[in-house]
Amino acid sequence: MPIRVNRISKHFRLFKREAGFSGALKSFINRKYEDFHALENISINVEDGEILGILGENGAGKTTLIKILVGLLHPSSGEVDINGFIPWERKTEFLKQISVVMGQKNQLWWDIPASESFLLNRNIYEIPEKNYNKILDELVDLLDVKDKLDVQVRRLSLGERMKMEIIAALLHNPKVVLLDEPTIGLDVISQSKIRDFVKFYNQEYNTTFILTSHYMHDIQALCKRVYVINKGVSLYDGDFEVLTNKINPRRKLLFEFSMPPDTRVIDKLLTQYKFTLKNNFLEAELPSDDLTSLVSELFKMDTPSSITLEDLPVEDTMRSFFLEPEKFIK
Amino acid sequence: MKSWLIKYFAVVRMTWIQTLEYKANALVGTFAIFSGLFIEFLIWKQVFQAQNINEIRGFTFNGLMVYIFLCMIVGQLKSSWATSMEMIDSIRTGELNKYLIRPISFFTYHFMMFIGHNSLFYIVYTIVIILFPILIPGWCFHTKIQIVGFIISLGISIYLSYTIYFCMVCFAFWFGEVRSLVIAYNIANSILSGQIIPLRLFPEGAREIIFLTPIQYLVDFPVSIATGNLPIEFWIPKMAMALLWCCIITITGRILYGYGIRAYGGFGA
Repeated sequence: MPIRVNRISKHFRLFKREAGFSGALKSFINRKYEDFHALENISINVEDGEILGILGENGAGKTTLIKILVGLLHPSSGEVDINGFIPWERKTEFLKQISVVMGQKNQLWWDIPASESFLLNRNIYEIPEKNYNKILDELVDLLDVKDKLDVQVRRLSLGERMKMEIIAALLHNPKVVLLDEPTIGLDVISQSKIRDFVKFYNQEYNTTFILTSHYMHDIQALCKRVYVINKGVSLYDGDFEVLTNKINPRRKLLFEFSMPPDTRVIDKLLTQYKFTLKNNFLEAELPSDDLTSLVSELFKMDTPSSITLEDLPVEDTMRSFFLEPEKFIK
Repeated sequence: MKSWLIKYFAVVRMTWIQTLEYKANALVGTFAIFSGLFIEFLIWKQVFQAQNINEIRGFTFNGLMVYIFLCMIVGQLKSSWATSMEMIDSIRTGELNKYLIRPISFFTYHFMMFIGHNSLFYIVYTIVIILFPILIPGWCFHTKIQIVGFIISLGISIYLSYTIYFCMVCFAFWFGEVRSLVIAYNIANSILSGQIIPLRLFPEGAREIIFLTPIQYLVDFPVSIATGNLPIEFWIPKMAMALLWCCIITITGRILYGYGIRAYGGFGA
């Protein structure tokens, strides 16, 4: 189910007022409005079975983009075509092929068990009973929530609730799933389970996923390709690894000598590379090319007891990117 | 049609399950109407005794009590103000998103939720209405056709009332908070529809104005059929007029919703 987004923009008219009672009074008499450009000329193509990550700071326009893609919002201009459908026409056939999970909102009925909400979705999406039972059993097993099905939704933990939301969203076997912050507020184990699940589901059913998340581990684990938005404007569309290397080409080396190294050789290497040496442990943060030549020099000196090469934490990399995006992408 | 029925019956079923989760709330809500009747009983008893009269504009005390009790039942059954408040909130807070992303109609989904939530009332009040001619014979449902006419006009009243609320709900797309509009309508409606004081006791001029609006079909029309105050030859023309109002207001609601959804920002979700 290919997605074609062509130069969409979305402008909102927001009203602004000063803080405090006098501000409220002034605004009551004379309300001031301001045009807010949430998205400007956004174009994306997403292919079948792809997992696309949408990155951006708070207020960058990620959720607005998701809302346009699922037909919740009309764009101010531009076109969207999802397998021949215009999302905001909200045709039944289109709605049966997509799904969206918003991490901060739920579609499950709060006071009754999730299993009842699933039954409601079965009727809403007109899922044949046999298919429904098969899909439900599979999803419940994969997400390990069998014993929670008959518990009131409001009594579930955040992680369990999110799993139930995901089940409700996938029961009708959608071809496109949009996940907006699906792991927000979850502990690391729940985050990892949801990531594993999305990966498995995508491979098994070739379902297209569009994902937004502030947790870079989600993006790193799931998305080969990312689309970066900043203040409503497209900044980058391409391989995530290429982006992170562009932002921070350095990698980290931990090299443990099997015996105390020759200080003369070390001093010589120090004139060419920046690293620290403590108790036979050499630690360096260098661009990939420099790191490769340093490693070959070190291997000439000694066969290490241990060696580790790591990428720098992706969270730190992306943080530095969002502080000055223009510096990295021109 | 069959799948449509299955889909929306599932919504009614969900509201039943939800209602049963909170037994005490459901029971108190069902019998709350009797407190209102008790207050009306005390007021009108005082009026009849103080004036030392047996009749007010053709109403004896017992006849008036029956009329008021039926008005309260119909008023309760047709009033979807609580559902309207939920709908306004869902537009204001962005909860509406969860309806828009699924192949369901916001209008019908909430109508079915309203029917589901009121189902307990339907059961209890049906029993009360069946007992009425037995407990207080001679004041309502003199013939079987009156029961049929009452049920049809009650159905029209429920739908008409819901569509009026729905039109008001749609203003939330532009103004965000419109609960005060619903509250103002609710107060006006409970008086002007004859829910508290029978329309027959209104001044002639006021009655003529009310009869130009759909408000007369909300309470006074079904109750007048039940009590025999409206001769049978007026039923069909009045029902046709009520159905015409249903069509006009449904279309108005659809137009408002169609424009409103374009203005919807989906904020907060």
